[in-house]
Parts: sequence; C-alpha cells; structure tokens
Amino acid sequence: MNPIAVALWNPIVAKEYRSRMRTWRSPVAMTVYILLLGGLGWAIFSSMTFTARNSFNAGQGANYGQGLFLYLILFQMVLLAFITPALTAGAISSERERQTIDLLFVTKLPSFSILWGKLLASMSFVLLLLLLSVPIFSLVFLFGGIELDQLAAAFLVTAVSALTLGIIGIACSTAFRRTLPATVSAYGAAFILLAGSLLFGLLFPTDIDPKATAAPAPPAVTYLSPILPLITIGTNGPVNNYGVRNGNNNIYPTGGGGMACSTTPAGVQSCYPIGPNGAFSKGIVARPMQASGTTIPSGLFTGWQYWQATVTMQLVLSLIALIVGAILLSPIRHLPWRMRAAAPVTT
Amino acid sequence: MIAVEQLTKIYGRRTALDAVSFEVPRGEIFGFVGPNGAGKTTTLRILAALMEPTTGRAFVDGADVTMQPDRVHERLGYMPDFFGVYDQLTSAEYLDFYAACYRQPKARRKKITDDLLELVGLSDRRDQAVDTLSRGLKQRLCLARALVHDPAVLLLDEPASGLDPRARVEMREILKELQKMGKTIVISSHILPELTELCTMIGIIDQGRMRATGLVQDVIRQLTSGRRLRISVLGQREEAVAVLKPLPMIHALSAQNGAIEAEYEGDDATAAAILQTLTAAGIKVSGFSQLEGGLEDAFMRATEDAP
Repeated sequence: MNPIAVALWNPIVAKEYRSRMRTWRSPVAMTVYILLLGGLGWAIFSSMTFTARNSFNAGQGANYGQGLFLYLILFQMVLLAFITPALTAGAISSERERQTIDLLFVTKLPSFSILWGKLLASMSFVLLLLLLSVPIFSLVFLFGGIELDQLAAAFLVTAVSALTLGIIGIACSTAFRRTLPATVSAYGAAFILLAGSLLFGLLFPTDIDPKATAAPAPPAVTYLSPILPLITIGTNGPVNNYGVRNGNNNIYPTGGGGMACSTTPAGVQSCYPIGPNGAFSKGIVARPMQASGTTIPSGLFTGWQYWQATVTMQLVLSLIALIVGAILLSPIRHLPWRMRAAAPVTT
Repeated sequence: MIAVEQLTKIYGRRTALDAVSFEVPRGEIFGFVGPNGAGKTTTLRILAALMEPTTGRAFVDGADVTMQPDRVHERLGYMPDFFGVYDQLTSAEYLDFYAACYRQPKARRKKITDDLLELVGLSDRRDQAVDTLSRGLKQRLCLARALVHDPAVLLLDEPASGLDPRARVEMREILKELQKMGKTIVISSHILPELTELCTMIGIIDQGRMRATGLVQDVIRQLTSGRRLRISVLGQREEAVAVLKPLPMIHALSAQNGAIEAEYEGDDATAAAILQTLTAAGIKVSGFSQLEGGLEDAFMRATEDAP
C-alpha cells in the first residue's frame, strides 16, 4: 500500500459513523440545526415581505437577497462554531477516558491515522449539516442579488473555518487528558478565531501612511476570522469602517486626520489624505487610492480576495494544529534528536 | 521471545521500575506476580510499546519496543487491565473493527471474527451490543480482540481480575488452549494459585524490583529456605521432638494441628533418613508427608523483606 493510501485508509471513520448514527443525538442535532437556520430565514423573509408590502420599490429585491444571505451565512458560521468544537474536542480525550486509546495504539494504525480518522468522521457530519442547509440558502435566489460563485465562496469559507475549528478541537483533545478542559479550550480557540481576531483589528488598526499609493486594509491577523470575508462576499463590497485608524470610520470624524475613503456603488473605494479637521491637508498631494470590490487593497495579501486570504491562513493554521496534535498523540515520540541505534536481540 | 534488560521507569521522584530484567522463551506462560503498584502494568505497557522506559531496553521477538514499536505491535496482542469497549457496536463489529485496524483484508475479517468468537465461546452473542455483555463475557471478548492479528506473544494484564470463579476457570481454559497453539503468554496477576497451575515460569516483582524469576518450581525452591515435612505420631510427640531436634538437617520444628512440622535441608534421601531415625528410636509414626511450598508462600517470602 502506498504511503498516502496508508495515511488515508481508516477503519475509524466507518466505526465512528456507525456509532454516531446509532444514537438519537445525531438526528436531533440535525433537526435543531435546520430548525434554527430555517427559523431565522423564515423570520427575515417575513420581515422583508412586510417591509416590501408597506413600501414597495422595484429593484429592492437584490438588497433583500443580499441581506437574507448575509444573515443566514453569518448565523450558520456561528452555529458551526458552537457545533464543531463539541464534535471534535472529545474525540481523543474520550478515548482516553474510556481507556480505548491504548487499544488503538497497539494496532497497526499510525497515530496520524487515528487523528485523521476522528477528524474525517466529525467533519463529514459538519459537511452533512452544510449540505442540509443548501435548500434554505436557495431562498436567497428568489430575490436575486447573490450569484452562485458568491454562494460557493461563502460555503468554502464556512467549510474551511469549520475544518480549522475541528482540527483545533482535535489538537486540544490530544493535548488535554480530560474532555472538559479540552472542550473549554476548543471553544476558547473558536472564540479567538472568530471574534478575537476581529477585536485585534479594532484595538490595533492599521496606521495610514499618507504617502501610500494604495488604500489601507485591516491588519492581516483579522483575515483569520471568517466573518470578514463572509461580509465582503455577502455585500460584494470592500470592508469599510473597520481595522483602519481614522480612515472613513466615523468614530473620530473630526479628529486625528489620516485618510478619507469613500466607496462608489460599483464597489470602487477612493481614499484621500485629510487634515485633523477632516479637511483636505494642505501641502499633501491628494492621490486617489482605489480598492476595487472585495480585494485586499494593501498589506501582505495585496490583490487577494478576502476569502482567499482567510482560507489560506486557516489552512496553514490547520496544518500546524494537525502536526502538533499528531506529535502530542504518539505514545512514543521519535524525534530526530532522540534517535538511537536499535540492536535486535534474539531470544 | 521476550527480553527485558535493566528496565527502569521513573515518574518524577518515584521509581516505578528499578532495573527489572527477565526473559521469556518461546511457548512459555510467564506469570508476572506482585502486589498492586509493584510495577506489573508499567512493565507490560513498556513491552507493548505504549510507554518509554527511563533507561533499559526491552525486546519482543527481537524488536526493540522503543525503536521499532510497529514491529512490536505486529507480533504482540495486548489486553490491558480494563475492558476498553465501545458503545453502539456488536461483538462481531467490535472484532471486525480491530481486525481492520490490524490491516486484515476485508475478505478474511469475517472468518477471523467467527473463529475468535468461537474460541472464546461468544458465537451466540455475535450480534449483542458490547456494552450489554457481562464482565466475564467482556473480558473474553477483549481477549479475542488481542488475538485478531494472530500474534505470537500475548500480554495479559490482570485478565482474571473481577471475574467470578466460573469465569476464571473458563478464562484459564482458553489460555491453556492458546498455549497449545504455541503462543508465548505473559500474564500478570495477584491471584497466585491460578498462576501456579497455569504458568510454566514466574517472575515476582515488588516495589519495582524483580525479587525472583525462572521456572515455577525453581522460584519456589529458591525462595523457600528448605523443605517441610508433616509428621504425625501416636501419642509420643514430646519424644519425637526430642529425637528430631538434635538432627543437623532440621532447621525448625513446630506443632500444627496435632502434627509436627519440620523444616529441613536436603533431598528425599534426607527425608527417608529422618523417618528411619524416628522409627529406630521407637516412635510410632502414623503419618509422614512432604509439604509442597506453594507459590503463595514463595510470594509472601519474596515480598516480606522488601525495604
């Protein structure tokens, strides 16, 4: 068997499916998930119908579609952020608590396969939930305003974020012997990934360089959060009022100076240097800086789509968490500096 | 088949194993005896490549447990001192899962499962959920699990603990069957009489140190200071004691249930000479028998002088 097949080959997945689907928890979880997401969709749909009845305006449909999509996709992300750590944080620690982990270690399964099998089993349940939500998202197409590629990009971001949360959950499950601390730390990591990275953008926004030729962008750390790309995909526009010090955010409309940015309906962002009172600075040549649509205008990921940056950063984070998890899981770690020659003994 | 060389394991400031060494040749049943916390499980876990020793080495069929854990796992079936069963699986699915983990081809797995269920007497329970099996049945299923890849060596950690007498007897019968199949078995237990009957070799461990190891009879002989005789006489006990006491081969005399127990140094000829001396002195001997030193006795002696 080739090494890739060995790594992917996994009886744990089949066993996990069997165990998971024989309990009442899985159908209940699926039902609750659909009810929550469908309930939110229905509530927004009703509210939009009400608004449209009172003040009908042809052409508003696209806005309604975008709004519905944005609410649904963000809510789905939050739901998965609650579900995924619960699925994976106990994967290894529960085997330890049940004392079955040693029985797996003495088989021919490499530690990585144990980790991978657990991950695959949990993530396929998440994938099932994502598939179940597709009919709800199809509501959006009644209104228009969202293209299929946007939907695909948003689902990709959601799936990769769930995968990252899943792998972090597995790594926590490996690092802690008990399920409770593993779960707490996995939820902590989920919070940091979703909200903490956004908070970073608020606390440490990008300083504007008046001589820069490109529009400012939020710090790269903030791209770790799936919220930012989901908003850019949903609104099909750049990120405004966030992550840039005294840009066109309205927190200090008259103070500080820096840049003033405005966005055209086509999604083109123009920024100009401004003085402390919001007036154009004298002596500084006003250079329009354009950030078109949903691409990142400056910084490490210049020219990338927000979702591309997020997916890349999360996959790197996932890889690191997976490697850490695999190293922590092995009962005997063959680190290069600990190798010594093996001399077989005949008995 | 199994070689343990100067194995030491230190947890923080506690020494769990202190230079433990022993060897088990192919086809033997090695009884690993010691009180709770003596280091039996630690030794077995190191042998199963589940734990690294602080110093020392261990080999299973020539494979170093630290450097070649995969080779060790191929040759070894390990049954820990807990059941380790999954909910929601039937007995047959449970064995099939582990057979798959040992990379047994799918086509062979059904036969392996059926054969093993039959070996441990669980054929009629193949579709019963594992978590609903009784303790004794779970233990048998776990033994079957350790055999799915037909290993040459079996490590059984306290396989009889918590079992009722009937289940113990059944477990012992299965182990005898496995011995006939040529397996090398290491079995840890603190239930000594079972091991005397089952094992060909024993090792006595206490507080992390190996007190004695070798063939069962050798260990017993090594640990008991001498052989013992039970002598019954017809109403002449005082006289008999007076005859026996001056004899150079007699170490100690004691009264037990109306008979005299004499500890002596020597062989069967010495015992015959003692009997001859008694009868020559006119003592009417009604009973004269050699007492077997049991494993329990050897074990108590081995562990009583522990520091």
